[in-house]
Amino acid sequence: MNRRKFIYSVGMTGMSLPFLNASSAVTSAPKAKSVINIFLSGGLSQYDSFNLEVEQSVRGNSKIINSNVDGVRVSHYFPTLAQQMDKLLVINSMKSNQGAHPAGIYKMLTSYDPRSSVTHPELGAWVSKRLTTEQDSLPNFVSIGKGSAGTAGFFPGQWAALPVKNTSTGIDFVNRNPKVTENKFAERLGILDTLNADFAQDHSTKETQAYVDTYLGSLKFMNSKDIDAFDLKKESESIVRLYDEQEFSRSCMLAGRLVERGVRFVKVELGGWDYHDNIYGKLPSNASKLDKGLSSLLTHLTEKGLLETTLVVVSTEFGRKPEVNPNKGRDHHPDGFTCLMAGAGVKAGQVYGTTTKDGQTAAEDVLDVIDFNATIAWRLGIDPNYEEKSASGRPFKLANQGEARRELFG
Amino acid sequence: MTRFLILLSCLAASVSVAVAQSADQSKQSQRIDQLVLAKVDQAGQDRRPGIDEYTFCRRVYLDIIGRIPTIDELDLFIEDKEPDKRARLIRKLLQSKGYQSHWYNYWADLLRVKYVGDKLHHPGNYAQWIKESLRSNKPYDQMAHELINAGGPLYKPGNGATGFYARESMPLDHLANSVKTFLGLSIECAQCHNHPFDVWTQKDFYKLAAFSSKTHLRVEPTANLEKKYAKDRKILKNKSFDEWIVYRESVRVKHAAIHGNGTGFMRLPHDYQYGDGKPHEVMEANVLFGEMPSLNHQVTKAELDTLNHKNAGPPINSRESLADWMVSPDNPLFTKSIVNRLWHQVMGTELVGPLGSLSPDDMGPHPELTEELVAIMKASRYDLKRFLSVLLNSTTYQSRAAALNADGPAYVLDGPIVRRLSAEAIVDSFLSLKTEDPDQYVPTEFQWDGFTHFYEKAQKMDVQDFVNYSIKGPGRAAFQKREENAAKKRNGDTGPKHLWRVSTYGHVDGSHEVAMLLGKSDRELIDGANKEPNIPQILYLMNGHLEHEITSQPLAYLHRKLEGITNPGQRMEVIWKAILGRLPKASERALVSHEQDDLIWALLNSNEFRFAK
Repeated sequence: MNRRKFIYSVGMTGMSLPFLNASSAVTSAPKAKSVINIFLSGGLSQYDSFNLEVEQSVRGNSKIINSNVDGVRVSHYFPTLAQQMDKLLVINSMKSNQGAHPAGIYKMLTSYDPRSSVTHPELGAWVSKRLTTEQDSLPNFVSIGKGSAGTAGFFPGQWAALPVKNTSTGIDFVNRNPKVTENKFAERLGILDTLNADFAQDHSTKETQAYVDTYLGSLKFMNSKDIDAFDLKKESESIVRLYDEQEFSRSCMLAGRLVERGVRFVKVELGGWDYHDNIYGKLPSNASKLDKGLSSLLTHLTEKGLLETTLVVVSTEFGRKPEVNPNKGRDHHPDGFTCLMAGAGVKAGQVYGTTTKDGQTAAEDVLDVIDFNATIAWRLGIDPNYEEKSASGRPFKLANQGEARRELFG
Repeated sequence: MTRFLILLSCLAASVSVAVAQSADQSKQSQRIDQLVLAKVDQAGQDRRPGIDEYTFCRRVYLDIIGRIPTIDELDLFIEDKEPDKRARLIRKLLQSKGYQSHWYNYWADLLRVKYVGDKLHHPGNYAQWIKESLRSNKPYDQMAHELINAGGPLYKPGNGATGFYARESMPLDHLANSVKTFLGLSIECAQCHNHPFDVWTQKDFYKLAAFSSKTHLRVEPTANLEKKYAKDRKILKNKSFDEWIVYRESVRVKHAAIHGNGTGFMRLPHDYQYGDGKPHEVMEANVLFGEMPSLNHQVTKAELDTLNHKNAGPPINSRESLADWMVSPDNPLFTKSIVNRLWHQVMGTELVGPLGSLSPDDMGPHPELTEELVAIMKASRYDLKRFLSVLLNSTTYQSRAAALNADGPAYVLDGPIVRRLSAEAIVDSFLSLKTEDPDQYVPTEFQWDGFTHFYEKAQKMDVQDFVNYSIKGPGRAAFQKREENAAKKRNGDTGPKHLWRVSTYGHVDGSHEVAMLLGKSDRELIDGANKEPNIPQILYLMNGHLEHEITSQPLAYLHRKLEGITNPGQRMEVIWKAILGRLPKASERALVSHEQDDLIWALLNSNEFRFAK
């Protein structure tokens, strides 16, 4: 029972025996309807962000600052978020078995080690496949940012993320070419119908029909009222002013807007954390993006009353070494890194898990990435053991062998 | 280097040989037809009608060179009045540059040609090796043997077959992949456990893996060479991150290699759970079926079992024996698998069974036909062009495509089916509308990239030269770019990118986003391409760059062909021939009143354009 415990728990009742009856705690708490996953590809330095409770040498140039929660301290690179720590759960005991970027990212997003015999769906694809209903007019897995869109793995392609590479241009090609008027477009579709109907007389197959259906779906999508969910120009002034103009902040705003429309899983990628050299020269500008964008998002969701039902997850493929190397950078370190959660009843204002003081390994309440993903799925009401078969009939579970860590929620 | 280039050009010269359809080949084509017709009659079905010249021309361009014919190419064929025009077109296309472009896409998917950053596997040399094999029409059994048995430096020009091992250098995964690639056999489950429905056990798997034991990819210099590099490596690491990285990476380009070639022994895993063996027990190499090649073992299993768990015996070159067994004409799966694949490529269906999961005894729904095609492949000595020529000259191939439907008659392997074009074929078909000569920039010789270029340069470089290169060099960000630029210069004029076939895009040229949207393989998995529609793809086809590139682009070849034609009916004919490869039907003539760009848009978005029939 005491094997897992929160430390630095502050201002929360039930601190003494928080997990005696985890299941009853769950039923009273709101469950997540949606997930916003901010993914920090490259590997966030835990010792320059949210895990400062280590020896001074491990902290490098990071200075400790207090947050708005007693006992929760963060690095001075995150001054704005420091005022939002009452909304966040800091998990300092993350552990992955992968230490290289592609494999680490793959593991974090799919719960599986990369293999050359099969590709696994990302968590967002599992969620979308599991929760999509006929009424949904927007896709339930959207990825924002320049990184790779979310893969559907061995699922059919329809479960892959809808990519939004740039918030100002929105979804690629969703609008008619400027020179093509609505009438002209209708004219073209009329000819296309004639041609396809003619072709179908002798050549209709499941595959040709799938194309006809997907054209209809695409047209429905183009004309959908919900498409303006992707248009930030339509966002109200009271929300827009919460954010600055940076693309990452705009991406967070879009994620909030999509969640408001019921999209189940939005992935926002912020890359560039791979500082093998000159980390203190390079980190501040990226940290500032995260600091501001995430803070604004938390305020946005709170103001809209969405934080109750939206699980915000900040994750990364691994952390960085406790030592600053001769090139003043930090190398990869998958044993004891940091992720954050907010919303959907997560035990906010607390810190879960520790590393050893020398920063070398995860110590208490170690949380493996597969358990991390299982927890997200469980919070969405999906059984982490939910199973689907690949094309060759091999069964795969949503979170691999992961088990939900229910104690992260109140 | 000159020697290498001469070698390449000799190979190229010796190639153009026998693709003409000889009397022997014609007999083989007829034999296919006889077997197919017998099956059709037996099933009580109607024989399929033949196809007209337009349909034939479009089909054969797509199947051999992976794009639709330009309007000129189509006209030329239609105007040809000689009776052997079909056979001559098949021969011409098999000998054209477009052949290697189209089939490269296929092999690159099968062989998973992809940049994998964290393993320092740069696929340029690998890709070039495949292209060269296609240009020289290297017999398929030789090609497979070279891939399975490849060793030595990764970036040595001409040694790109090593890319196959480097692409998956985990030994057990590599074996499972090789078996799937060349035998169409799925044994990856047995890698970790006995599979309830499979005949292969985990022990069988380890015995097969024993052939290539101790083969490995090493990107750093070997231990004795590393001693020379070590001192400066350490100095640079403490001095400057950039210089250290450039030093490390540039040394790797020279020394990355596949080492070892099999000891013929392998040990069971530490967690082996079955009664027929113990954890760490030594397994002696053995094949899954067929004849066991003799190995020159220096030690016995009993001797090794007494030694340390890591000891797998001395090297005896057993990986070569694995390659011999894999590609042997007596291997019941090697020939059947490639025949199954080629049939699938040109007819659209499997001849025997799923491409990646055949079984040694299965001969498919028409065993005599399978047997005949296997015999033709062997008689062709694995000359793929010769085999394709036999297949494409058959009446079976040149018959009307069937639309397979649940409620239709059972399909009896009597000809092609209606199927979507590959992603690359769709994109390359756009090129047939943009330019008069879509294959103009398909390279006809080895193309350098930063790695092969630097490898060659590095042959004269010693430790101090690498240090100087790193210190005076441009830093890690620019290091690779500089070599890539030098390589580009060396390749000479390769033409503007927007007129390249998809196959010309290498890793340094970025992923081809339009082809990816249309389902081009990401080359993570064997046969990873897909032909499914999805919303982003359809949005691109309706609202994307085609508008500017073709639909309303006056410089596109299609529009230049329309210049000066005032008769609307004639204009319509040009558009239909260029995009659909046929004349408008009487029922379609009513569409003549529409705007020209609207017609072009509709044709480009039509099912008829992206499906082969």
